[in-house]
Amino acid sequence: MKRKILSPPVLLLLPAMIIIVAVILLPLLLSLYTSFTPFKLTRPDTFYRFIGLRNYERLFTDVYFWAAFGRTFVVLTIALNVEMMLGLGLALLVNRAIAGQRTLRTIMMFPMMFSPILVGFQFKFLFNDNIGLVNNALQSLGIAQAIPWLVDEYLALFAILTAEIWSSTSIFAILILAGLMAIPRDPIEAAKVDGCTVWQTFRHITLPYLMPFMFIAMTIRSLDIARAYDIVQIMTAGGPARRTELLWTLISRTGYVDANMGLANAMAYISIFLSIFFTWYFFRKLMAARRYMGGAQ
Amino acid sequence: MAVVTLEKVVKRYGPLDVVHGIDLDIAHGEFVVLVGPSGCGKSTTLRMIAGLEDISDGTIRIGDRVVNDLPPRDRNVSMVFQNYALYPHMNVAENLGFSLKIANRPKDEITQRVAEAAGILGLDDLMDRLPGQLSGGQRQRVAMGRAIVRHPDVFLFDEPLSNLDAKLRTQMRTEIKKLHQKVKTTVIYVTHDQIEAMTLADRMVIMRGGQIEQVGSPMDIFHNPANLFVAQFIGSPPMNLADGVVTDAKTVRLENGMELPLTADMAGRVAAGTAVVMGIRAEEMVFEGHGDAGAQSTRVDITASLSEPLGNESLVFFEFCGREWVCRMFDPRPVEPGESLGVHLNMDRVHLFDKTTEIRL
Amino acid sequence: MMVSHASRKILLKWGRWVGTFVAMSLICIPGLWIVLSSFRPNVEILSKPAVWIPENINLDHYRAIFSSDPGQGAVPVWNYFQNSMIIASTSTLIAIIIGMAGGYAFARYRFRGKNTLFLGFMLSRTVPGIALSLPLFIVYAKLGIIDTEFGMILIYVALNLPFTIWLIDGFFRQVPEELGQAAQIDGCTPWQAFWHVEFPLAKSGVASAAIFAFLTSWNEFALASQLTRSTGSKTLPVGLLDFTSEFTINWGGMCALAVIMIVPALLLTFVVQKHLVAGLTFGGVKG
Repeated sequence: MKRKILSPPVLLLLPAMIIIVAVILLPLLLSLYTSFTPFKLTRPDTFYRFIGLRNYERLFTDVYFWAAFGRTFVVLTIALNVEMMLGLGLALLVNRAIAGQRTLRTIMMFPMMFSPILVGFQFKFLFNDNIGLVNNALQSLGIAQAIPWLVDEYLALFAILTAEIWSSTSIFAILILAGLMAIPRDPIEAAKVDGCTVWQTFRHITLPYLMPFMFIAMTIRSLDIARAYDIVQIMTAGGPARRTELLWTLISRTGYVDANMGLANAMAYISIFLSIFFTWYFFRKLMAARRYMGGAQ
Repeated sequence: MAVVTLEKVVKRYGPLDVVHGIDLDIAHGEFVVLVGPSGCGKSTTLRMIAGLEDISDGTIRIGDRVVNDLPPRDRNVSMVFQNYALYPHMNVAENLGFSLKIANRPKDEITQRVAEAAGILGLDDLMDRLPGQLSGGQRQRVAMGRAIVRHPDVFLFDEPLSNLDAKLRTQMRTEIKKLHQKVKTTVIYVTHDQIEAMTLADRMVIMRGGQIEQVGSPMDIFHNPANLFVAQFIGSPPMNLADGVVTDAKTVRLENGMELPLTADMAGRVAAGTAVVMGIRAEEMVFEGHGDAGAQSTRVDITASLSEPLGNESLVFFEFCGREWVCRMFDPRPVEPGESLGVHLNMDRVHLFDKTTEIRL
Repeated sequence: MMVSHASRKILLKWGRWVGTFVAMSLICIPGLWIVLSSFRPNVEILSKPAVWIPENINLDHYRAIFSSDPGQGAVPVWNYFQNSMIIASTSTLIAIIIGMAGGYAFARYRFRGKNTLFLGFMLSRTVPGIALSLPLFIVYAKLGIIDTEFGMILIYVALNLPFTIWLIDGFFRQVPEELGQAAQIDGCTPWQAFWHVEFPLAKSGVASAAIFAFLTSWNEFALASQLTRSTGSKTLPVGLLDFTSEFTINWGGMCALAVIMIVPALLLTFVVQKHLVAGLTFGGVKG
């Protein structure tokens, strides 16, 4: 047998590996290095000054950072859970619709095509305290006072969450609907014959079957979790007065506005681990659910 | 059409040997069936001949060419897969003509050869259908058509009938046999079904654990199995077995103490004191009053445990020497479980296998 | 009060109907409001109390952003559109070609470290755009490819590869391996077997992967907003910010640009929506 230098799979994967390494891995190594320096864009000489973990130390004592970190975590948790519940509800509704299911599904995909930046802008427009649709509607209903949606801390977070949920519920709904449509009739009918109520059938047959689909949606969604940056950046830019600051807007401000690259990179690393944590968590759930379904079939 | 030669062919997956250096000569125009239980290396061997698996060691020749390093396309073989592997996006005519199109043959030659193959297999009315619109038997035929269109040197069949129902399988078996008689190309056919192997083969190759156990014509293998494994694997119902020892008195003493007289010929071949496994096929035993077991027969008494009437005969099951035996009752009568019966064993047809080496004595 | 089984059923049916209607309205209204506003004059958009029934529908905002007078709210829309188109389609094409090779390798070959490599690819996708933009900003500036279409294409290829590979892997796994082998025995080279047999069967999957890649590049903001500066490379999402000045926002113009941005995405998605769902689901469940 003649020996080839590179086996076919390596050859096929090589371009992909080169690109990922060159455009993502190497820059990340660079940013890991700069996170150990006081690098400022305005002062190139600082690139070579090594200060060890001082950036990280600073972060760990920084109240603003921890506030942003905590807020990010809470916002993501709320958003993902609400999106999943709403997605499930929506999928169940559409699944039971007798007519026009295709049309409904098409409408459901609508928000998926919206760029997050567009979603942010759209809700900034709707929640505008002066001319926004929401306040206009409330006023027409007789509530005279204009509500400062994007100014008050909690209202602003509520508005941001609304935008986030609007844009991402559909991916859950679509995947769960695909799962619903693929459920075999037999187990459901068997459960009915065995005397299960509608709720019991849902709880013990339908829901376990849907789990892998929910986790795929979660995994896909968590890959893109930082898209929330786009929405927040345009709706409030972390303001007013940092009251809606998320990790990502903080990174952007520190890195580009304050030109403090070293510190921003240290934060970026923490945000990367946060993303990896979410993805890894759901990916493992997906694997477990898949194995479970595999055993059931 | 060609001679296919395998010399010390080995297939290795990492440290694991799946095929242990097999030798095989296949003559021009011969129909050879590789048969054995799953995992015996028969499919791997076929795929090495096809070029779908690398050959770890040894040589494979088709005609006088060593094909070890040739890609599948240069070996001029064609193959029918277990799941047919029809191209789902091409209709029957396109499926049949695909290999010729790839070879850049002129259009009218393609049309003519496709029509010829379709004619042989009765596919003329199906030419515009997609594989998804065909029944199992039709797909099978298209797969065979695709193989013959190329006029290959060798046909390779990889368990082609295992996805068909029983009736269709029998029918297609006959068609494959007829096809071979018509085109007279060398065929290498892999199956785990010994009946399929028996009915189709000019020569059978029995494999186990990556090794060839026996090569021979179906009748030869049936009557003279080389070892215990072949004896059990070939024939349905499987051969009945009992443990025993050959004695000085030219008998075999079975585990239950019963002594059966051996033929002079057999006793001459096997030394006294040899621990053996005795085997006899269901056909070589006759129930009292249901025929004649020949001059060398000996009678044993048994208690029937179950009978399966098949119409022209019944299969009667009983326990013998701690094993389940089965015997054919020709010209059958109803048998109740628990009924006592006398059986004559044709000792002329008894096989003795060495208990340790399992080789036939 | 006892409610009979039959009337409860009717009630439930109506409940579902209303629920579906409300849900669909919530999905549609925000988008439709933008579309509507893009055709309304500023007087109506800004009026107090609100004007609900549009009295005046015109193309003024579109005319304004396409005009050449910055004072009227002109924005180099055409440049942005071109940049977006070039960057999104080129990066999609490259990502699909490279991703097809990679996805095929994952689907067809067994090799050491396969799972680790796959996980590595996926993890590279989780890096938040803004986090990645920091080092890229430095590297691109050094290499002189900051603020260029080439730089954006490069990063979008890398961004899209993992997901593309995932989807394409799933689709090729649906194509039985035997088909490619049958083609090779029929006289095909491995490349011909791929091109004549395996690719046509996975085509719809590749198309859906392409749509995803295109949408991602078309809609991306975090990286584009930091790595592009001039009209020569700015994409539509970044261009949207042109309407935001320190104190005022040109809502009408922004709406018009939003419509321009969403139309290609909508068209593309509806053409292949069936494959889209299939691609997402069985890549994950059966992979």
